Amino acid sequence: MSESGINHKFAFYLGCIAPNRYPGVESASIKAMKKLGVELVPLKGASCCPAPGAFGSIDLAVFYAMAARNLVLAEQMKMDIALVCNGCYKSIWEVNHKLKHNKDLRDAVNEVLKEVDMEYKGTINVYHTAELLYNEKFIGVDKIRDSVTNPLTGARIAVHYGCHLVKPHKDREFEKEVMLNTEHPVWMEELVAALGATPVEYRNKMQCCGAGGGVRGYDIVHALDITNEKLINLKEEKVDALTDICPFCQLQFDRGQIEIQEKFGVTYNLPVLHFAELLGLAQGMSPQDLGLDLHGISCEPFLQKVL
Amino acid sequence: MPEKKATTKKTESKKQDTKKVAPVKQEVKKQAAAAPNAAVGSTTEQKARIGVFICHCGTNIAGSMDIKEVQEYAETIPGVAFVDNYQYMCSTPGQGKIEKAIKDKKLTGIVVAACTPRLHEPTFRTATKEGGLNPFRFEMANIRDQNSWVHMHDREGSTDKAKDAIRIAVAKAALLQDLYPKSVPVEKTAMVVGAGVGGMQAALDLAAAGIKTYLIEADTSIGGRMSQLDKTFPTLDCSQCILTPKMVDVGRSPNIELMTWSEVHAVEGYIGNFDVTIRKKARGVLTPKEAEARGIVGGGCNGCGDCDAVCPVVKPNNFEVGMKPRKAIYINHPQVVPLIYTIDFTSCVKCGLCVTACGPEKRAIDLESKDEFVTVKIGTAILATGYDIFPIEKKEEWGYKRFENVITSLEFERLICASGPTGGHLVRPSDGETPKRVGFVLCAGSRDNTGTGKPYCSRFCCMYSLKHAHQIIEKIPGCIPYIFYMDIRSFGKMYEEFYYRIQDEGAKFIRGRVANIIEDKATKNLHVMADDTLLDRPIDMEVDLVVLASAIQPSADTNRTRKLFGVSCSMDGWLLEAHPKLNPCGTTTAGVFLAGVCQGPKDIPDTVASAEGAASAASIPIHMGEVELEPYFASCIEDKCAGCGMCVNLCPYSALSLVEKDGRTVMQVTEAKCKGCGTCGGFCPGGAIWMNHFTTPQIVAQIDAFLLGGEQ
Repeated sequence: MSESGINHKFAFYLGCIAPNRYPGVESASIKAMKKLGVELVPLKGASCCPAPGAFGSIDLAVFYAMAARNLVLAEQMKMDIALVCNGCYKSIWEVNHKLKHNKDLRDAVNEVLKEVDMEYKGTINVYHTAELLYNEKFIGVDKIRDSVTNPLTGARIAVHYGCHLVKPHKDREFEKEVMLNTEHPVWMEELVAALGATPVEYRNKMQCCGAGGGVRGYDIVHALDITNEKLINLKEEKVDALTDICPFCQLQFDRGQIEIQEKFGVTYNLPVLHFAELLGLAQGMSPQDLGLDLHGISCEPFLQKVL
Repeated sequence: MPEKKATTKKTESKKQDTKKVAPVKQEVKKQAAAAPNAAVGSTTEQKARIGVFICHCGTNIAGSMDIKEVQEYAETIPGVAFVDNYQYMCSTPGQGKIEKAIKDKKLTGIVVAACTPRLHEPTFRTATKEGGLNPFRFEMANIRDQNSWVHMHDREGSTDKAKDAIRIAVAKAALLQDLYPKSVPVEKTAMVVGAGVGGMQAALDLAAAGIKTYLIEADTSIGGRMSQLDKTFPTLDCSQCILTPKMVDVGRSPNIELMTWSEVHAVEGYIGNFDVTIRKKARGVLTPKEAEARGIVGGGCNGCGDCDAVCPVVKPNNFEVGMKPRKAIYINHPQVVPLIYTIDFTSCVKCGLCVTACGPEKRAIDLESKDEFVTVKIGTAILATGYDIFPIEKKEEWGYKRFENVITSLEFERLICASGPTGGHLVRPSDGETPKRVGFVLCAGSRDNTGTGKPYCSRFCCMYSLKHAHQIIEKIPGCIPYIFYMDIRSFGKMYEEFYYRIQDEGAKFIRGRVANIIEDKATKNLHVMADDTLLDRPIDMEVDLVVLASAIQPSADTNRTRKLFGVSCSMDGWLLEAHPKLNPCGTTTAGVFLAGVCQGPKDIPDTVASAEGAASAASIPIHMGEVELEPYFASCIEDKCAGCGMCVNLCPYSALSLVEKDGRTVMQVTEAKCKGCGTCGGFCPGGAIWMNHFTTPQIVAQIDAFLLGGEQ
């Protein structure tokens, strides 16, 4: 460990939803990761990732070029990218992977980037912060356990993995090396346990949140129907909170509960927290610092249990 | 890129066309002088006169290159005395051309530019011999598999490449020598490794042909997977009923020496003369024969089971897929052959209760028994090592080992079998209730390209799942089988008819791969989630029990055993046959053959057929009494040999040794063991090893012919 205690530096790619809807994810990530020896340096000038479903389904050329531009910004900083969202991971990790391995595509993208005096070189890697947290090469479960000052003892917490981080399984390299398991993974549960909470398994854990792939934008009722099914399954286990690693999933579960209330007349009041927020709480950050009051569903019952 | 390559090639061949090449006669002399007398047949002083024959292989070759241009080029190659082409060189008229040309044109060597030596070298060697030349004066240029097939759309490139290949082959053909194969006698005994239905059939056939056969089985009893099955498709006869007579025959056959609870420990030697060491695992129980050898007259295990009754240690019975208990001293099931108990020493506490129960007359139990090693001499061997079930819990989405009511097909076989743990009553493991809705997941881990499962079709799961559907319809009134399938592969005799029968009986077929299985925690029922691709809609089917038709994989010990016998395997671990179509029972190791599933998934009829094929193939060398060995062995040029012995350690076949000769240490080759791999020849620091048919001058001439485009 260097004298400052910082072992790794990453260009921190925020995405859209985290800074706009859940700023606590941003502050918690920066502060909590710093305590674990990882500095997240803001990636200035970044655009939307762009959203894999919304852009990727309509115009691949724009999708690749925009993602490549974000990658180039980090290449210029000579830093690997760290990000907090599964959607961003899908776009930026996957585009980086494809551009590195496909010369024709790389040439086409660079043709576009030339207009803004940029060139994609393929010199950096892309990581999800959840991956950094779990992988011992960067942080690891033990280090997280040691950093906890306010263990979340007694809280029953369920995990939502989200789709894009783990699938498609064939293309995801870190799974083959670190996490292995994609159809019924349990590494997030290990992270939750490291914070002192009790991880809870529930029916059809790996089901989608309902939002991804442009479904939320295209057909909100259908999207909420899927979310509702997950909430039914979660209610079955009487969990105190749901944790996720994707602000878009978080939006769907959090704001989605209000929409479900309006559209289906069902109330769950299940607090939904990004794992960064949970980690911040466990490391002693206040709910105000984490912006938990900005959540659609009140986190109060959960906070009373753990604080 | 390909265009550029073509142009360089072209200039190369042009250059070659213009410059005439020095005759290769001197090389022949040089080589003859260098060769040790022992290794060389008659040496040739005459000028090389090579005949080149270009095969069209229908359009396989002629469709992708300009045969006329190749022929015109071949005529310009120094040393070539005659060139011809023909539609099918392997046909009788094609071979006739070779024979005639040898006589008419006084040829000294033959080059056929066609397919691969693997396919037709023997054919053309015979033709060469018929024409009056030594058969080893033949060389093949592969212009099909390595040329026209891969460069199908590059006519110019493949034409140029064919010219190169022929030029190289001619360079070698000019230096070929007469060679004479050696014969070795064949031991009149055989060995079969694995006593499932395939291994048993092979052993029975060999025994019936009068050949003494060692049958080696790793388990405590014979019968293999088939003995675990309840019924067989499509005839629905009871598996044990048709298998037991064979098991009894194996036990009784005077020509079969059955060794259960044994495995192959070491293999040495070569076809006709293998020395195989068998490890007889400590059994702890004496057979009557073994007891007699120890002077206990009338003693030994008679299978009474008194020991079983008193043994205090309880373990899961593997034969029942762990669903029934057994003791530390056990037999797999009541019909075992041989009926001899076995002690599982990993769990035996050596309390001695069994010894007392066995009594002073039989004295069958020896708690101090140790592994024994026996070496036997055999002429040929058949591997019939079978399969294991793929660990289907790796496909996590289906929840095997997570959800109690998700079972495998092999567990289903035991549960539906009258002699199984439930007496033939199919029950849910969670509550012992009879299921009314059973989901069958086909291609569970088979035809799976996700990297978790197996890419191949396991070949019998469709059919046994149809059988399972029939069995539950028959046994449980009102019970509905739901079969989730990709395609139903009912390819065998009377299989398609069986498929229709099961449809008529009321089984429900859903064409869709199961994405996910979810357990209802309260009821332990299962929701099978799939996409019904015929109705084009997602489906959530609630069932009481799920049966996974798990993929199969080579049995655990296959890899170790195959290495001992020098047999290759394909990427998926199944043992590699010599040719998938024309030599499916043979391997690339002479004298070693394959039977049954160890070579690839097979149902019972195919396994038995393959076993009979293997037995027939394995009996041929034994009945012939001797085998001819290719004369490709290495030999030592004793004048040059420094006796360093490096080659002895390198030889993968233990064919080399150091001997004292005229006061010097020199290397000596056991020709019958040598496979002509060339490892020693390539390494020898003094250049003292002569590789017949792959001599240094021959190889150098080939390299020169390629690199220099014919200039030497």
